[in-house]
Amino acid sequence: MNSLTPTQRDRGLQRLRRLTFGATVGGLIAVVGVSYTAAASYAGKPSSSGTSQTTTTTTDTTSSSSSSTTSSSSGLQSAPQAPTTGSSGSGTVTSGGS
Amino acid sequence: MALALKSWKALGTSVLVLSTQDDGLEAATTAVRRVLEDVDAAYSRFREDSELTRVNANAGRTIQISPLLATAIDAALRAARLTDGAVDPTIGRAIRVAGYDDDFSRISGPHPTLTREQGREVPVRAWRVPGWQAIRLDRASRTVWLPQGVELDLGSTGKAMAADLAATAAMAAVGQGGVLVSLGGDIGTAGESPSGGWRILVAEDSRVKPSGDGDVICVPAGGVATSSTTVRRWSRGGVILHHIIDPQTGLPTAGPFRTVTVVAGTCLDANIASTAAIVRGEAAIDWLTSCRLPARLVENDGTIHYIGPWPDPTSVAA
Repeated sequence: MNSLTPTQRDRGLQRLRRLTFGATVGGLIAVVGVSYTAAASYAGKPSSSGTSQTTTTTTDTTSSSSSSTTSSSSGLQSAPQAPTTGSSGSGTVTSGGS
Repeated sequence: MALALKSWKALGTSVLVLSTQDDGLEAATTAVRRVLEDVDAAYSRFREDSELTRVNANAGRTIQISPLLATAIDAALRAARLTDGAVDPTIGRAIRVAGYDDDFSRISGPHPTLTREQGREVPVRAWRVPGWQAIRLDRASRTVWLPQGVELDLGSTGKAMAADLAATAAMAAVGQGGVLVSLGGDIGTAGESPSGGWRILVAEDSRVKPSGDGDVICVPAGGVATSSTTVRRWSRGGVILHHIIDPQTGLPTAGPFRTVTVVAGTCLDANIASTAAIVRGEAAIDWLTSCRLPARLVENDGTIHYIGPWPDPTSVAA
């Protein structure tokens, strides 16, 4: 194997630096170009959809907060205490159809 | 504890006010009367000058409404949402076509066959119920819009909500103790109950004397409602009809349960559950069980079912 002279070695290193710089710049240009093309092709939805999601989250929070006062996922509010049995004939008011 | 009591007729049904404060009964009664007058003016289906009559007559237009009517419509829409449409305020025309088109005292007698269709007499017609989703209510601007041909009936949720509103207003007027308001057996309470709770006889007909024999429950707070197909009935051409309309058919329900009583946090929610149970028919027991509300169901043959934390009728509290 032939050994390189110092001059030949310096030229080789300079060529390698130019190739590396070129590849880096070319890569950056390619990334920017592809990104622009992609953004132009699929613009997506306006940022208001993000606001809508926030609103939904807030609503859900309110629902779960209010559901803490209900007995079940039905959304119907239960009485704070369960009824108990009274003796027959002791009623003071009647609940019935009308 | 002795309870002060006052009763009279309003909204086509019986009104009963109980107060734990003897000297507060007059104030409670006055407050209840005011609420019921407001309710009647806002959403009576039988008054030509009510707001609801005006809304129903102006379907297809956006109508400005009072806070009370907005609250009542909102409550009815909530009921529809929570019951998947089993309790639907757009049954207005269906119940009218079925014959309930006037104050009940004027329609309860026997009537001949009403209509002729395709050359033959029919005792009752069904009207397709358009569905609650068609209603546009804007609470902020207090406006409502109904599609053409849609009529609202707030009879079920409206009466129960009135019991809650009346109890709250009466309690505010009395200032201490507790108040119970019954509107035809739909019961709302506010404040502190008597020792052991409000003693309520559960019956199929609200006209049964409360001191009579039967299931008595003691309710510390909240509301109680009973829906029944056995009381508000009328006849058309020999066919017996009642006032609980199945939105799926547009006709009075024909399920296995004739009477359902529910205890809930408010009279409104108790009424939503009891009415929905009648409409749901065989699916009512599973649905009420999932709601975890104490309920008592009476089948058409008289068999009684107790659901959820309904108290054991055989164990009487001290």
